[in-house]
Amino acid sequence: MPVQGIRTVAAARNGVGAFILPCKRMDFHYCDWAGSSRGMVSFLKSALPSFAKANPQIEIRVSPRPHKHPVIKGHYINGREKAICVRNLEPEQIFKKANLLKEASGEKLKRTKKPVTSINDSVRGIWSPYHGDIKTV
Amino acid sequence: MKRLQLQRWSSSVLSPRVRTGSRLQHHLYTGLRCQSTFSPVPQAENEPLTHEQPPVSPIPSPNSQKSKYTLPSPPVEAARESAKLAALHARLYLPSRLPLETLARSLVDASADPNSNFNNASLATLGHDLLTYYTSEHLICTYPRLPMAVVFAAMYAYVGPKTLAAMTREWGVEHAATPGGEVDPGFLQFKRIDPGTEIGEGQVNGTTRPNDHRRWRVSMSSRVVYDNEFGEPVQDPTKNDGLPRPLPQGVTAEQASANFVRAVMGSIYLHAGRPAAKRFFEQHFLSRHLSLTELFDFSQPARDLSRLCARESFEPPVAKIISETGRKSRHPVFVVGIYSGEDKLGEGAGASLLEARSRAAVAALKGWYLYSPLNVRVPSSTEEESSAPWKPVHVDLGEVIV
Repeated sequence: MPVQGIRTVAAARNGVGAFILPCKRMDFHYCDWAGSSRGMVSFLKSALPSFAKANPQIEIRVSPRPHKHPVIKGHYINGREKAICVRNLEPEQIFKKANLLKEASGEKLKRTKKPVTSINDSVRGIWSPYHGDIKTV
Repeated sequence: MKRLQLQRWSSSVLSPRVRTGSRLQHHLYTGLRCQSTFSPVPQAENEPLTHEQPPVSPIPSPNSQKSKYTLPSPPVEAARESAKLAALHARLYLPSRLPLETLARSLVDASADPNSNFNNASLATLGHDLLTYYTSEHLICTYPRLPMAVVFAAMYAYVGPKTLAAMTREWGVEHAATPGGEVDPGFLQFKRIDPGTEIGEGQVNGTTRPNDHRRWRVSMSSRVVYDNEFGEPVQDPTKNDGLPRPLPQGVTAEQASANFVRAVMGSIYLHAGRPAAKRFFEQHFLSRHLSLTELFDFSQPARDLSRLCARESFEPPVAKIISETGRKSRHPVFVVGIYSGEDKLGEGAGASLLEARSRAAVAALKGWYLYSPLNVRVPSSTEEESSAPWKPVHVDLGEVIV
């Protein structure tokens, strides 16, 4: 056969066509008794319904965690999870933490050094020493 | 107990999809299973109670916890209560016309629930046909000169089972440990293969090909005719080579995930219509990145190029050195171009003259095969009303035959 095909898998580009929010589940843990959960309890009562309504793509679980500090956990598409302890925080601060988890990609935080990362080839091409005029030193 | 009578005498009244199969009749006395992806049929209050069933029967109501454990897959009414399922629906931006019940059904594999009224086999068949149709028309119209082997590989890369399984992961769908009526319907439910079972991937015994037993060399033309859309032989369930091989009871996670994605495509087509299905395909499948230049595997590119030039009645290709450096050194570099008359067909650099020549021939062949016309339309774009009439597109002969 003159030419054979090589089997691969097409790479996903989240956001190029459809966008899938990487955060798929958020767990809210609170304690009914402890004082560090006071802000969390009022957040669950007041702000969580509107947060859940604004983000229907996130499955939200609320469960008590007695005698422990309140925690928000985000579960992500890549299988990782992120947890933030929200002890003694006000409802507004907890809302910011929940938004942080919602917008996270689930990857480990890493420093980006290049302004653009792309899987496409460079439009300009790669410089070649064998083409063009002969350089004189 | 009125529901029971509806099952008994309503086969001529209900539509065929609402009607449940003989398996349901069999199950009638172990656990009543009144499920359907349709909205429930309104029960007439004045139905005559015409049969001898006593008014109190041992059948538990379908909502009770006990009957849930007897069902092979979650009951239909559980779909409305599942947060996971609603989140998946919203995450995929599925149209609101696609009900949660259908999404729950598309998550039930045939290995989990063999009843075809409640598993995703029919939806997956439809979705598979749609996916392969849209992908093949896109590939053939966009790249009209693509060799058939590369078309097969590109089909596999866009809608092959590996890609669909990866998409299931990217959609955040989790697998149920084991299927059952009490499981959250937001999980993908399938029966797993027992550990140690031989899967036998790649070696299909007993295909649908005629003369299968003769082990003839499989040509590309016969792959087009007999094999499936990925160029793989199709297993014929009636043939088994005389070997007593029991069919595997479960499926792999990859197969179940692939069937789920296909079923979602099929259910979008059924509930939201053709334009929505097309849009879903473009957003989730065509938007994936596939570099077609990396799918080619040439064995003798220089020979293929000379055959191609002969077929297209170009002048025979001639390889010429464009530039070179360090011929006598440890790392020589030759830049070779292949010319047909005055036209340069391709160029390649290599550490030896032969290597550079074959790279140049590969570049020339890829330049030919990957030709793509501008503003290309596909046949399915004419399916909508008020679309422009179809003008035939250019589709080339394909690869050279050596």
